[in-house]
Amino acid sequence: MNLERLVRRQALSHPVRALLTVGAVAVAMFLLCFLRSIVTSLDAAVKESSGRRIITASAVSLFQALPASYSAAIAEVDGVATVSRFTWFGGVYKDPENFFAQFGTDPQLLLDQYPEIELPAEHKQAWFDDKRGAIVGIGIAEKYGWSVGDTVPLLGTIFPRAGGEPWEFTVRGVYRSTRANVDEMTMYFHWTLLDEALESGESMGPRGTSVYLIRLDDGWEGEEVAQAIDDYYAGGPQRTRTQPEAAFQADFVNMMGNLPTFLGMIGAAVLVAILFGVVNTMTIAARERLRSMGILKAMGFSDRVPIRLYLMESTMLVLIGGGLGIGLAWLTQPGLRAMFGTFIPVYQVAGETYLAATVACVGIGLLAGLIPALRAARLRPVEALRRGA
Amino acid sequence: MGDPVIQFRGVTKSYRKGGQELVVLDHLDMDIEAGEFLALMGPSGSGKSTILNLVGGLDLPDAGDVIVGGVSVPALGGDELSTWRARHIGYVFQAFNLLPVLTALENVELPLLLTPLKKAARREQARYALEIVGLADRLDHRPKQLSGGQEQRVAIARAIAMDPTILLCDEPTGDLDRDSADQVLDLLGRLSAEYGKTVVMVTHDQKAGEDARRVIHLDKGVIAPVDA
Repeated sequence: MNLERLVRRQALSHPVRALLTVGAVAVAMFLLCFLRSIVTSLDAAVKESSGRRIITASAVSLFQALPASYSAAIAEVDGVATVSRFTWFGGVYKDPENFFAQFGTDPQLLLDQYPEIELPAEHKQAWFDDKRGAIVGIGIAEKYGWSVGDTVPLLGTIFPRAGGEPWEFTVRGVYRSTRANVDEMTMYFHWTLLDEALESGESMGPRGTSVYLIRLDDGWEGEEVAQAIDDYYAGGPQRTRTQPEAAFQADFVNMMGNLPTFLGMIGAAVLVAILFGVVNTMTIAARERLRSMGILKAMGFSDRVPIRLYLMESTMLVLIGGGLGIGLAWLTQPGLRAMFGTFIPVYQVAGETYLAATVACVGIGLLAGLIPALRAARLRPVEALRRGA
Repeated sequence: MGDPVIQFRGVTKSYRKGGQELVVLDHLDMDIEAGEFLALMGPSGSGKSTILNLVGGLDLPDAGDVIVGGVSVPALGGDELSTWRARHIGYVFQAFNLLPVLTALENVELPLLLTPLKKAARREQARYALEIVGLADRLDHRPKQLSGGQEQRVAIARAIAMDPTILLCDEPTGDLDRDSADQVLDLLGRLSAEYGKTVVMVTHDQKAGEDARRVIHLDKGVIAPVDA
């Protein structure tokens, strides 16, 4: 027999009430983790971005292609190590619902600029050697059941082929990503394939490239190189906007409006609501146990004991519920990642989210127990016995 | 006459009820000897339970002093009072006041958590207290599995578990049938006679009054003269 056992027994003396409280906290903590993870996952791509890469796009719009000739000129700017081309393809795989990103790019430069893309050596070479070859992230490979050697037909929307035929790409490699800034839901293929098709009239669509990705030379800062590129093209033919990779990623997040703030507000409201719920539970429990507290005091237990008992009970209930909710958030990651698909391809519950949820649980537990605890502690034994009768 | 273990000196206590001041003890002077088995009797509101609350330090007098074992109880406060109460006072209530979520043994063990005793020693002492009240075979029963008389005996075992010098009993037979009440009174008598406990019992039960070694009648907060 000890006070912990007393707390446990008292908490479970009303099983339905305990279950409802634990359940409510579990749902709230799951929601909190879920909402926070949307924000942190969107943010992860920004945070994980490399400071050694900058991106040049049209100053007019991201949807405005830049001339292909810029590549050579940008490569001459001081501080530029390599330049690769990225063209948004926008193809449809079987059904418009099957959305995933596809980019025409320079294979060797891409893998050189993005060491976080992990691809087996034999896949690399096979891709380099096959102009119709493509690499796909493990996420879409698993989603659509693709493996190396499979043909992926994509119907061009920005770049339709003459006669309405689909483009056919051969999967030459399946990559994994080691960092959150690169998702595993994208297809990369040879930029030259697209350019040659446009040149020959085999396909229609805008010439050029959507963006240039630049890796900096050692010792150069992104801002000064970006400024140099933009200054170079200040007079046209088409003005550029060059920014660090992180800022470029952040622009995508900002396109969704003030989503992080909105989700943060919902999360805060969930926390406050669950705090009220647990306070309510503890207040009812405290009222029922007024006499018990009087008895304990009459036995010689100090005023600190009720405080301890109530704080232990509320913290215990919240931690059990919170643990379940946090566990659920951990368990549902793969399912939610699949559900979000390309919207949040790197959805995951971050370590700091688990920590924040645990801290929130302890905080709510202590706060919820504090009000009845202090009231019980202040009550004189004779009053507790009389009022609890 | 032995030495008084409990002394009331000019004790006054009043409560406010419905905007009116009710004087429940009026300059009360009273001595209770060590080892006495005393019954406090009188009509409702005569101040009997207030006396118990003041002896145990559950309540404070408006004026006067309550001295128990040479210590002025109203002068104690906070943890000092709690510690003193745990060491010297055992309570028995009319409604038993056992914690329903604990077994008989655990209920009796509860006050022993205030001692430095290890778990095994605590259990042993709780078991011994239950043996004294004749419930060694009901250790693992929850209060709702016991009869009223058994519950009250568990409450007495809990009150004596810490081996206090004084037992304060507030209507200990009030909720019991005659047979159970007699068992409880017999037990309280034994605790006084054989174990030297000072038992102060508030009661309306005439039989309880007869079993006690001394009876103090209270009326309107003062000791009422007893007709010969």
